[in-house]
Amino acid sequence: MRVKKSWWQSGGIRIAAAFVFLILFGGAASGIYLSQIPPEQPIAFPHKTHVALGAQCAYCHPAADWGPNAGLPSLSKCWGCHQQVQKKSPELEKLAGYVQRNEPIPWVPVAIQPDFVKFNHQPHVRAGIACETCHGPVSQMTVALPQPRQNMGWCLDCHQRMRPNDFVRLSDCATCHY
Amino acid sequence: MAEERPAKWGLVVDLDRCTGCNACIVACALENNVPFVGEDEVAYGRALYWIRTQRYWEGEYPEVTPTFQPVMCQQCGNAPCEPVCPVYASVHSEEEQINLAVYNRCVGTRYCANNCPYFARVFNWFDYELPEPMRSYLNPDVTVRRRGVMEKCTFCVQRIVRGRQKARAEGRELRDGEVQPACVQACPAEALVFGDLSDPESRVSQLARSQRRYHLLEALGTLPRVTYLKGVGNHGG
Repeated sequence: MRVKKSWWQSGGIRIAAAFVFLILFGGAASGIYLSQIPPEQPIAFPHKTHVALGAQCAYCHPAADWGPNAGLPSLSKCWGCHQQVQKKSPELEKLAGYVQRNEPIPWVPVAIQPDFVKFNHQPHVRAGIACETCHGPVSQMTVALPQPRQNMGWCLDCHQRMRPNDFVRLSDCATCHY
Repeated sequence: MAEERPAKWGLVVDLDRCTGCNACIVACALENNVPFVGEDEVAYGRALYWIRTQRYWEGEYPEVTPTFQPVMCQQCGNAPCEPVCPVYASVHSEEEQINLAVYNRCVGTRYCANNCPYFARVFNWFDYELPEPMRSYLNPDVTVRRRGVMEKCTFCVQRIVRGRQKARAEGRELRDGEVQPACVQACPAEALVFGDLSDPESRVSQLARSQRRYHLLEALGTLPRVTYLKGVGNHGG
């Protein structure tokens, strides 16, 4: 005797469910992947070389000391040094091109947070947190690489190591979300 | 640095001084990226205001005088909006002693608005498009809320946080009146006064001790942080 199959055991439904699962899973996987690869930059800026030459982070990103955004160096700051440095590499040719056309370099920000997260560099820098703590070993990078899993748990993980009184303040929703 | 005492932010609304000019509403909307929804949506009861002026008429017809009462979120100490939220999007901030609306947690059940006796919470029924140049006027310090999210007055917490971070960087305490919400800053009659209620010498504390003080719907026991000063002039109740 043949047992009647219930509706969810039919092949069509199962294949459709598999497709839906694959689409959702694929979307999630590619979304995670795309957020973890470094974006294409107009100039492949070698952080490694500049740090090795002794440039401090705050020389090019000084606003970290007084504001929410660390900022990107202006063309004149790049050119201030590089008009004296010989322009042999193709990347420096690009920089010279921007200077000639007098247009700003369209850098693509790498370490970005969503709109509902309000991060301020200043308190972190003033508390003596090294840039590498959050941005990774920039001294070994060429273009800046996004750091994986920079999420809320990661923020709180560090805030939790502060004094208990400070943790009350630093775990408050309004510290970062408003 | 010395241990900081947590501030208890409070607002005083002097109804004797309020002229009903609505400057606070405009300032609030611009500061907090509150979209203008248009007449039709307001008629449907979907207005988005974090602060509104309630208008009352005093007296019989030829002899009428208007009185105005600005009403914003009262930042209750015992808030009815908080226990009803199923996802903890409406939480009490221990640090600022205000009620928060955490936009990224909110799933839009609207329980909090239904439980608010002051009608202070408003809901984003749609994504409101801004005409092109207006997008440049958005405040980068405040989240642009999406459709389906509850929002309300935050006492301009972005200004509080920014002011405190600035004071800490300079190694000093916040001065009285240094941090002001947009409505307080915009009020031409100084009907709104903002400050730290835990400091007995601050201007807001002194005004909040006035004999004209009262709280909205005091009998509900919500312990509001907003104190109203009754009007005693010819106009005002």
